[in-house]
Amino acid sequence: MNPLIFTTILMTVLLGTMIVMMSSHWLMIWIGFEMNLLAIIPILMKKYNPRTMEASTKYFLTQATASMLLMMAIIINLMHSGQWTITKVFNPTASIIMTSALAMKLGLTPFHFWVPEVTQGISLTSGLILLTWQKLAPMSILYQISPSINLNILLTMAVLSILVGGWGGLNQTQLRKIMAYSSIAHMGWMTAVLAYNPTLTMLNMLIYIMMTLTMFMLFIHSSSTTTLSLSHTWNKTPLTTTLILITLLSMGGLPPLSGFMPKWMIIQELTKNSSIILPTLMAIMALLNLYFYMRLTYSTSLTMFPSTNNMKMKWQFETKRITLLPPLIVMSSLLLPLTPMLSILD
Amino acid sequence: MLKIIIPTIMLMPLTWLSKKNMIWINTTTYSLLISLISLSLLNQPSNNSLNFSLMFFSDPLSAPLLVLTTWLLPLMLMASQHHLSKEPLIRKKLYITMLTMLQTFLIMTFTATELISFYILFEATLVPTLIIITRWGNQTERLNAGLYFLFYTLMGSLPLLIALISIQNLTGSLNFLLIQYWNQALPDSWSNIFLWLACMMAFMVKMPLYGLHLWLPKAHVEAPIAGSMVLAAILLKLGGYGMLRITTMLNPQTSFMAYPFLMLSLWGMIMTSSICLRQTDLKSLIAYSSVSHMALVIVAVLIQTPWSYMGATALMIAHGLTSSMLFCLANSNYERTHSRTMILARGLQTLLPLMAAWWLLASLTNLALPPSINLIGELFVVMSSFSWSNITIILMGANITITALYSLYMLITTQRGKYTHHINSIKPSFTRENALMALHMTPLLLLSLNPKIILGFTY
Repeated sequence: MNPLIFTTILMTVLLGTMIVMMSSHWLMIWIGFEMNLLAIIPILMKKYNPRTMEASTKYFLTQATASMLLMMAIIINLMHSGQWTITKVFNPTASIIMTSALAMKLGLTPFHFWVPEVTQGISLTSGLILLTWQKLAPMSILYQISPSINLNILLTMAVLSILVGGWGGLNQTQLRKIMAYSSIAHMGWMTAVLAYNPTLTMLNMLIYIMMTLTMFMLFIHSSSTTTLSLSHTWNKTPLTTTLILITLLSMGGLPPLSGFMPKWMIIQELTKNSSIILPTLMAIMALLNLYFYMRLTYSTSLTMFPSTNNMKMKWQFETKRITLLPPLIVMSSLLLPLTPMLSILD
Repeated sequence: MLKIIIPTIMLMPLTWLSKKNMIWINTTTYSLLISLISLSLLNQPSNNSLNFSLMFFSDPLSAPLLVLTTWLLPLMLMASQHHLSKEPLIRKKLYITMLTMLQTFLIMTFTATELISFYILFEATLVPTLIIITRWGNQTERLNAGLYFLFYTLMGSLPLLIALISIQNLTGSLNFLLIQYWNQALPDSWSNIFLWLACMMAFMVKMPLYGLHLWLPKAHVEAPIAGSMVLAAILLKLGGYGMLRITTMLNPQTSFMAYPFLMLSLWGMIMTSSICLRQTDLKSLIAYSSVSHMALVIVAVLIQTPWSYMGATALMIAHGLTSSMLFCLANSNYERTHSRTMILARGLQTLLPLMAAWWLLASLTNLALPPSINLIGELFVVMSSFSWSNITIILMGANITITALYSLYMLITTQRGKYTHHINSIKPSFTRENALMALHMTPLLLLSLNPKIILGFTY
């Protein structure tokens, strides 16, 4: 793509999310979402083939539906409160419709079906933007309306997302689908604590984005989109296999890596509010996620597929530049001792 | 406590910066020095604990376990030299780094004050162990073994996290030193029953309790020698240590909640001992014998009398040294014949007489011959369980008999009789191996002269 045009489109995506995050007028928020959606379609379709077209179409249809539902919720809110300022949602119907709309945008169950298929159809870099940047805008709206969300719907969607994210990823070998299901599960964790302490939602979002960025960067570095091609990385850069191991274990939420911090804080917050069965269920279902991460580590770093060197070399035409990988690796694995610093967020 | 933790962490730069011919020498020497430092902790002047800081403390229960942990690292390094000799330098360094990381986490776990810190470090010990088992094990079954190990432990310990946080809500603090003084009886309700279960299941899986022990034979057999040693000697004792710490907070539910686990342990120790009599795989036999000995520890901890706590602590230390020594002996067989089948390497006394002496001593301590500390541990446990209920003497007696049977079976099969043809060309014992066995045996024998240091906090 022409670099100037690509820059403009990327800036529009950024601007759209920024408008959503910084507006106080509901209409501007909706406009921000639409800008974001329209501008990201060309990014999703960087390579022009039927699979990308299908993925972009699915993304556009679901997100447009969600925007329309959001608009309906905004109008109902306007009818009942008479003003456009985003404070809290004044009508339970509007709250439910808005929660469903934002869940559709995030990919929470039962609106999660588009996430694996869209992520699979697009390139790794576009998938990276889809799974990290696009989650910021809906999550910021959820954060702002969090006092008025119906708790039953929120917790049901959260628990079901963790379940679906865990079980759905078990049968996958395509890396992008694995990351998609992992995203669904993490979104479930984030929304579970939204009603109790939204700061922890933001913490989880931050750490999730760091870990997903790291994973995608490592995949892009080895140009691998399937488990089989990822298992050849020991041949080219053996250090990458160790980094994949550490990051995957961190995503699975194993102490002492930093992926444990959001889970621990969320469990603590939920337990302090006297819900015990819910965090137990969530924690045990996160083990399903850990299982397919472990399977990836088994084929990548903990075993070495027997092969001679010259049989499995992959064509690599240019050295890919991976931005900021060392700081990302450090932050996605070693942040746990900094947990007492969370008190500054109050 | 930092005087032990910082040197252990610094063992990692030591391995990465050492020259090729000095890595084993450097790491073994310095880890031996660190273990000498930790010996000073055994001097516990009062009945109270030695408080080092807000985060670390040591009391007569954790000090022997800590000394055992630090003692074991040089032994693990010595035992691993042979099977790593063909690997490239970076992989040797990675292996030693994994062992050192595991050691650091274990030291911090045994001395943690705050129970959530204990939990995080308890879980943190899983990651290096998993990497050691799945990356450096020898057979394809090691992948399954690693998965079983990780998931059994995690399924048990996630409810523990939630239980600890809810206890923190109730009592305001999880600092172990404070809880000793606050201790109140838990009110009787259904949710407190689940709290009891949630607290104990993690340690039951780790011990392991008989019904949840499936991960142990897999993990022990598939792990390389250092992995087997650390699993048998220390990681199982983490479960015992955790149970000993947490049962102080869980009265009075323990009096009735303990019954199913007592039944499982009493039955399980006989079952696993009997399985040992039918094993063909040497490492598997030693693994099942670990389950059997740990079942005794579970019985002791759940009965909650002063004598049983003494027996549990002594048995943990004694079993750690004995089991680790048996794994080293089995490994010396494996390195020569590359097979773990017992009948393939018979009659070794003719070929390796000094090793036969170590086999004899190890088997004798395994069957708890007086005056070793194994006997002290088992005797105290048997006596206290007899006072808890007279009928258990039948099961305990049967267990002691069957333990003697399989220990002698293992000894006679591997050492006595005519040797098989194909092993008459094995290499004689290395000095390293003899040193390893001596370093295992010497603490065992010396401790029988002064067992009060390992008798725990009820002495």
